[in-house]
Amino acid sequence: MKNKQITIMLVALSFLLILGFSTQVLAGETYKMGMSVDITGATSDIGNPYSKGAEDYVKYVNDEKLLGNDKLVLFIRDDAYKTETTKRNFEDFLDEDIVLYQNYSTGSTLALRQDFDEEKIPTITASFHAGNLENCNYLFLPIASYSSQAVGLAEYVVANHKGSNKIKVAMFLHPSAFGRGPLGDVKKAIDIGLPIELVEVVEHGKDLDNTAMLKRFQSKGVQYVISQTVQPPVATMLKGAQSLGMAASTYGEAGKITFLGCHYAGGPDLIGLAGSAAEGFYWTTSYKLMTAKGPGTDAQLALAKRYGRDDKLANSQNYTNGIMVIQVAVEAIRRVKAKSIKVNRANLFEELQAMNGYNAFYPLTTVGPVSFSKTDREGVDTLQLYVAKGGVFHELGAPFVSEYVQKLKK
Amino acid sequence: MSENRWLATGNFFTSYKAEQRIFQTHIDRLVFIGLLVLMFVWPLIFAVSNKYMLVIDSILIAIVAVYGLNLLTGFAGLISIGHAAFVGVGAYTLATFARLLGSNHVLLTHYWPLMIVLAGIVGAIIGGIVGLPSLRLKHLYLVIATLSFQMIFQWVINFSKFYDQGQSIAIGRVFWFTGKVARKQHYFLWYYVILVVVIILGFAVRNLLRSKHGRCLVAVRDNDRAADAMGMHPGFTKVYAFALAGFFAGVAGALHAYLWRGVGFESFMLHHSISYLAMAIVGGLGTLVGSIVGPVAILMLELQVESLSEFVGHYFTSIGDVATALRPLSFGLVIVLFLMFEPRGIANWWRIVRSYFKLWPFRY
Repeated sequence: MKNKQITIMLVALSFLLILGFSTQVLAGETYKMGMSVDITGATSDIGNPYSKGAEDYVKYVNDEKLLGNDKLVLFIRDDAYKTETTKRNFEDFLDEDIVLYQNYSTGSTLALRQDFDEEKIPTITASFHAGNLENCNYLFLPIASYSSQAVGLAEYVVANHKGSNKIKVAMFLHPSAFGRGPLGDVKKAIDIGLPIELVEVVEHGKDLDNTAMLKRFQSKGVQYVISQTVQPPVATMLKGAQSLGMAASTYGEAGKITFLGCHYAGGPDLIGLAGSAAEGFYWTTSYKLMTAKGPGTDAQLALAKRYGRDDKLANSQNYTNGIMVIQVAVEAIRRVKAKSIKVNRANLFEELQAMNGYNAFYPLTTVGPVSFSKTDREGVDTLQLYVAKGGVFHELGAPFVSEYVQKLKK
Repeated sequence: MSENRWLATGNFFTSYKAEQRIFQTHIDRLVFIGLLVLMFVWPLIFAVSNKYMLVIDSILIAIVAVYGLNLLTGFAGLISIGHAAFVGVGAYTLATFARLLGSNHVLLTHYWPLMIVLAGIVGAIIGGIVGLPSLRLKHLYLVIATLSFQMIFQWVINFSKFYDQGQSIAIGRVFWFTGKVARKQHYFLWYYVILVVVIILGFAVRNLLRSKHGRCLVAVRDNDRAADAMGMHPGFTKVYAFALAGFFAGVAGALHAYLWRGVGFESFMLHHSISYLAMAIVGGLGTLVGSIVGPVAILMLELQVESLSEFVGHYFTSIGDVATALRPLSFGLVIVLFLMFEPRGIANWWRIVRSYFKLWPFRY
């Protein structure tokens, strides 16, 4: 009798053990990632939709089991655009044993580069400054760099300028490493033959009126202004140009100024801020806009709707930006898993570097494929030009690659 | 002071020497030694994450900086809102070496104690120069002069190609007796280094205030004409107060550069100067204890407000500006409330607690 009881107990115990193990197996692995982003700081109008895009896509990945039974965890922390807070967040994430990290500002990316390399942690940054990649092997830019964007815009100016006069261009920059990022490469492109004259470089402050600057531009014969900053100062400048009657109504209109801008300088939010003054603003990014219907844009709008986001957020290119960086991370995890090897920093780093050629990743949220290699860590190389018309940004021409930046890379 | 230094009660002294003692009673000394032992031992017992070690190290650096500001503003009565720039001078002294010789040059990585002292000396020289207007200016006008220095510092760094226009300039990993300090030991090592600096400089301040040079500062603050009549040199004293503040700030700047392994412009802006001033005010102007508790209180408050702002930012995205405004709002509110209700700062609470125990069982 006693033996029978012991046998029953052993069987029950074994059953419980098996159940316990199988539950663990079913629960799968948990992959942790960290994201430090400006939610309440100087660029929160960009960081907020960016973080929401990332957050929603992680929810989507887990809800739809895109990684099977494995779970993705993304820690999102506000850094208020401060390097010191970013560093603290980064240390916090390392304690959580993250396998991949997403950084935000140019200043903090430059400051933490050495940490990324020491920790050997693959990092995708929201800063597209080409200089981030110098002396750092573990950083990846999701799309074409600010240099590619600014030089690409200058090339467009050259290709479409009417008249034989020397093309006079001014640059309107954010007073930080982020704003100054592409300036050096624009100057190098001019040195190797880009036929423009860089008349003036302005680092804006918090001015609410740009009349003096615009009048100065006019007196110097500036016809094109390329902006590398965030949207609010661009909106102020555009409104000023409109009220002074300086804004070109058609591209390159003689005696007027045509305004152009890189990724963070434009987008639907700019139209919200500048209203009709944004008409005729030329803007470039590697992301697809919600105005161009397609599978990627439909999926983004559905995602925003699914997680209760408003229209403004759903249509923001920075929401797309946030989604895209997680798409890249998830794809790398998926590929590592497909090889039946451990999802860790080293394997994710290798997989990201192998994301090229036939292995390039097509996230549908961008105008070209994401491709990284050991020598090229700029993701989407192609850019799309958009122009604001009727209160909406419309695609202009086919996606392009900056020729001069390609020359400079050689 | 009573002959029995264990059971001393009340404030009365039988000799001038007794009044000048660093520790009035043996109990005071024991408490202090106990506190020191605790400060040295706790990291060996409790495993603290790098994040919190970074926070603690930053608080200790702020204490070093506020020692200097408290000497200048609290003891000498010269208000400065350019203190972050002085800290920046110390940090950029290291950055200069890093730019000229390379961030991993032996001077920076092996002779770091020397570099910390050198940064302090450079800070003192610049402090002395910036203090020259104090020979002619007083009160608000002097505040504007220190503000000008802050602005000049920011402008110079922001437009200097040599300093990479304020972008982060890397400082290499330092070496200890055991070799290169690895990432895992980094915050641990700097905790002890900064703690030792805090203790040494704390004693230096305490001793300075017992000397004629320290009493000169207080005399000039209270009435510079009377001090002049008593044979002191008010002008020299004011410049020397600025140089002292510059030294402390320079040391803090060098420690900052080593701890963060880089020097970036954004750590030495005007709002940092105001933060240092807030630390001195909230801690208690003109008290050594205030220089210690002020940075702890303000930096902990900042962390709490940061978490609150983040929470608000996550859940009320449409009112992101409210989240952004929370920090300066709460920060300003704390300073105003302290100025209104406790102008002597947290140090006064400490004084009340000490008095209570000192007088116990009597009420006064």
